[in-house]
Amino acid sequence: MTTLIIGFLIGCAFGAILFLGGASSYRKILGTLLLKDMTIIKLMMTAIGVGTLGVYLLDMGGLANMNIKPAYVWGVIIGGAIFGTGWAISGYCPGTCIVGTSEGKIDALATLVGALFGALIFSFVFPGLDEAILQSANFGKITFADVLGINGIYLAIPFSMALLFTTFFVLKDRYE
Amino acid sequence: MNDEPIISWKVAGIALGLLLTLATYLVQPLGVSTQFVVTDAVVMHQIAPEFAEANEYLARYGVPADWGVGYGWMLVLGMLVGGGITALLFREKQPEADKGSMPSMWKSKFGPSETKRYSAAFLGGLLLLFGARLAGGCTSGHMISGISQLAVSSFIFGITTFGVAIIVAKFMYRKQGV
Repeated sequence: MTTLIIGFLIGCAFGAILFLGGASSYRKILGTLLLKDMTIIKLMMTAIGVGTLGVYLLDMGGLANMNIKPAYVWGVIIGGAIFGTGWAISGYCPGTCIVGTSEGKIDALATLVGALFGALIFSFVFPGLDEAILQSANFGKITFADVLGINGIYLAIPFSMALLFTTFFVLKDRYE
Repeated sequence: MNDEPIISWKVAGIALGLLLTLATYLVQPLGVSTQFVVTDAVVMHQIAPEFAEANEYLARYGVPADWGVGYGWMLVLGMLVGGGITALLFREKQPEADKGSMPSMWKSKFGPSETKRYSAAFLGGLLLLFGARLAGGCTSGHMISGISQLAVSSFIFGITTFGVAIIVAKFMYRKQGV
């Protein structure tokens, strides 16, 4: 029960941040994808920069409840390509279409309903895809720290610094 | 100038990174796309229980022990509530360009037809979740949470997704033709 309440509160904060940061804005999303307005990619890279450091600092104390996704290469690449196409066409991702819907945007609601159908269609074809795509070239739940055989924090610090540096000092909007 | 989001990308990004850290400490990292399957599964368990049980994928989710929902689903419900309340409170401050269901960019390229925009949004949503389930996550779970955990899978997802989305967006908004 506590976990459910924590989930709800974290979700509230997540939704609020996405709305306030303009992540549910078609203009901002397409601006990033057209490489004209870097707001959204800078928001994401900052979040990842801070998140990497946060997660691996927790990990040092054995306090991180990690959830590493398995690297089944073909499924991730094909799925990512389909996802990217849908992202550009709708202008939302699964999280921001929820926030857009909460704002009363009908196009966001259309994306949300489409997404429910997309998930259902996937469940129909899953048995066929499972062995063909999901089980082949599966390297399991690996991180780059595993690949390099080092403690995650030694990779997290330089990665995080490089990401934040790029975001704050290198990336520029085309019209800036 | 009221054209920029209510909070800057710096503030939003840092807040999101801290929220991800908090979530990872308390329960587990952020994720959204799985919950679309959970919702489908809960509904299917209600309207077509035999089908839901027989389907290898749906049978894994939304099992009617309680409501069939957990932390992740409550998180998504929270997004709807938190986003909605914030949107109401800050309606005045939201840039005009970001209000409404017909983005002006879309309108000037593809015309004023609402049917066209909503159909595209529906199709986009369908592709989003099909792709996300195939890849194992979306922007929040794979890109933000996954890359923050330095997961190999999530770097592959992030690069592929951005690469393809940029190509498709550039194609949609190319200068000539329709």
